[in-house]
Amino acid sequence: MQMKNKILAMVVGMACSCAAFAAPPPQSSAPSSAPTSAAAAAAAAKAKAIGAQVEAALAGADSGAPASPPAPGSPAVAGAPAGAAPAGSPVTATAPPGAADTRSLDEDTQQLKKDVVDLNRDLFVLEEELLFPANTQVAVYVSMDVGEFFALDSITLKIDNKEVTNYLYTPREVDALLKGGVQRLYLGNLKVGNHELVAFFSGKGPDNRDYRRGASLKFDKSIGAKYLELKIEDRQRKMQPEFEIKDWE
Amino acid sequence: MANAQGFALLGQSAPDFALRSFGGTNVRLSEDRGDVVVLTFWGSQCDVCRRQLDMLDRSFTTYRSAGLHMYGVSVDDDAAHARQFVAAHPLGFVMLEDPAKDVARLYQIDNLPTTVLIDRGGIVRHVYRDFGPRDEALYLSQLRELLNE
Repeated sequence: MQMKNKILAMVVGMACSCAAFAAPPPQSSAPSSAPTSAAAAAAAAKAKAIGAQVEAALAGADSGAPASPPAPGSPAVAGAPAGAAPAGSPVTATAPPGAADTRSLDEDTQQLKKDVVDLNRDLFVLEEELLFPANTQVAVYVSMDVGEFFALDSITLKIDNKEVTNYLYTPREVDALLKGGVQRLYLGNLKVGNHELVAFFSGKGPDNRDYRRGASLKFDKSIGAKYLELKIEDRQRKMQPEFEIKDWE
Repeated sequence: MANAQGFALLGQSAPDFALRSFGGTNVRLSEDRGDVVVLTFWGSQCDVCRRQLDMLDRSFTTYRSAGLHMYGVSVDDDAAHARQFVAAHPLGFVMLEDPAKDVARLYQIDNLPTTVLIDRGGIVRHVYRDFGPRDEALYLSQLRELLNE
């Protein structure tokens, strides 16, 4: 019951946030907002439908009745009240009378959970589309190769001289990068035009000395998403790490 | 160690953070999801904090193998004082620096010591503000409850 309440709360919460997304944006004249609003409305309707389903399931559970009408011929609705076997009939080792109800309720719960997960995914995509539209989106990724000459500790990112993120790396995150992982360090919005990205890398350099280096890139943000990658590589010839910012068109 | 019933974060997801430890490594709270986490906010000038840190250290030694992580977050204005304190009071759990007090603000700390118990699902379950002589038993019983979940 407690779990169901949690699911209900989650679904209702999502329905609310979805309704908020569904509200027309202040500048609804933008052409890109039309499909997004339609998607938001669809997600809101879906959230409300799931909410209604959860409420029905809860009402069914509270009254002891199954959440949804069972299929015809189901043993749960044999006509007789649960547990009332005809007098003189042999007692057989069949499932307990309430088992079918419970199973049906479990299936409903599983279906609701799946719907909630699907809805959550849809909302996540929708949120990204609304907060970071493709026209203004800029994303900065981090990758690391070898890492023999540099142990990463933190990265500070500035765009147009304004600090946008300062990220501390745990040993586990550094391991993941060294194994080939690529991290999305920053996701934001930028106007069309020229911009400058500056990244400061700090950590331990060769011979375990404190090491701090910077890298910068001037880039042109056109219409469409901009992807930049901070690459940390070892330069074997110089026995030094190398920091590079790559602009992915 | 009065359990802060009105604490806004009770029953909420513990805000994630990353802080540098006095040992030099970085710690991110979300990496401990699945284990019970005890966060204690302390200051080097606070006598009660010292007594509480000793008590917490004993519990950490006992329960660390049961999936307990413990972090002491220093909210000292002067990092040198905090470092001195850590050097003079070696403890088994990790001590973190919060010089900008971002994490203290995130957890709405208005009293020292404040201790936050986070369950395996990352939810703030108990918050203690202050520490008295009879509070150890309450803390231990609630900690055991969380570890048994």
